[in-house]
Amino acid sequence: MHIIDPHIHCVSRTTDDYLYMSRAGVVAVSEPAFWAGFDRSSAGSFYDYFRHLLDVEPKRAARYGIEHFSWLCINAKEAENVELSREVIKLIPPLLDHPRVLGIGEIGLNKNTRNEITIFEEQVDLAARFDQMILIHTPHLLDKHKGTSIICDILKNDSRIKPERVLIDHCEEHTIRLAREHGFWAGLTIYPVTKVTPQRGVDILETFGTDMICVNSASDWGESGPHMLTDTLIEFRRRGHSEDEATRVFHDNPARFFGQCPKWTIKPRLKP
Amino acid sequence: MLDARAILERQYHEMRQRALSLAADFDRIERAAGGADVIAHDARLSELRECLRVAIGTGPERAKRVQEILSDKTPAPV
Repeated sequence: MHIIDPHIHCVSRTTDDYLYMSRAGVVAVSEPAFWAGFDRSSAGSFYDYFRHLLDVEPKRAARYGIEHFSWLCINAKEAENVELSREVIKLIPPLLDHPRVLGIGEIGLNKNTRNEITIFEEQVDLAARFDQMILIHTPHLLDKHKGTSIICDILKNDSRIKPERVLIDHCEEHTIRLAREHGFWAGLTIYPVTKVTPQRGVDILETFGTDMICVNSASDWGESGPHMLTDTLIEFRRRGHSEDEATRVFHDNPARFFGQCPKWTIKPRLKP
Repeated sequence: MLDARAILERQYHEMRQRALSLAADFDRIERAAGGADVIAHDARLSELRECLRVAIGTGPERAKRVQEILSDKTPAPV
């Protein structure tokens, strides 16, 4: 089966993970810009990080037959530093024509602070002005519901934003309605301990339906891994869902969302 | 040895995750065909409810008391 991991931080992963993904049928990944686990000291660090995303990771992935695409932004955590954020935002427009850039992401909120909201709004504006798709990071744990509400309100109040070109990621049982009732795509992140387990991920797919949902591993420098996506696929199949149904969720949904960007090349395998 | 605050700090997210997982397990059973009846009447789920009361209650040896709830209490064969 062909599958897509729509959210993974390959810069933090080993070559063994690429090999694992290739063996497991992963044909493409998308990698949003994120917090590296430490606050960077200058905009120059971000420039090098963007070069890593756009020029290095696609080559690493290609050795394993995997297509690699990226999203650019300053992440919500480092957005607390408004001055640095604005310097980083200035770096982005010249890179948006790069053939591996799908849009602006993962932007959003972390602790729901005023500074984070300011920079989030400025990056939404950036996406609108350059007609870019948006990948949203929603906060962790106790901040998630409030942060997701704030994010959805900001997006729906900007008439330039087309909801179907936005994916609200890291949705869980208490936030997925917020994303979907406004017509956004929803992301389910299968991540040990702090997000959704494979079992709960499949519960959400069964409860809310599989339309406009992308399942991802968000594997990064923490305890996580690309196997979380395949474990979820196995759980989905073990509950009796057909291979076609699995293809729709784990390949065609991300292919349809990303396919709104003309640079994305992988077509859905099944008819809608 | 870690103090209580440090242990909670280290384990809180896993405890949170276990609570969510168990809630989702009950939801999954209830959602399936015949779910309401199983949730209401299955003896194993009744035992689990008792276990949860012990787990979140006061007093020592919670794990031992949970094990006792889940142990076969029938008499040994003669």
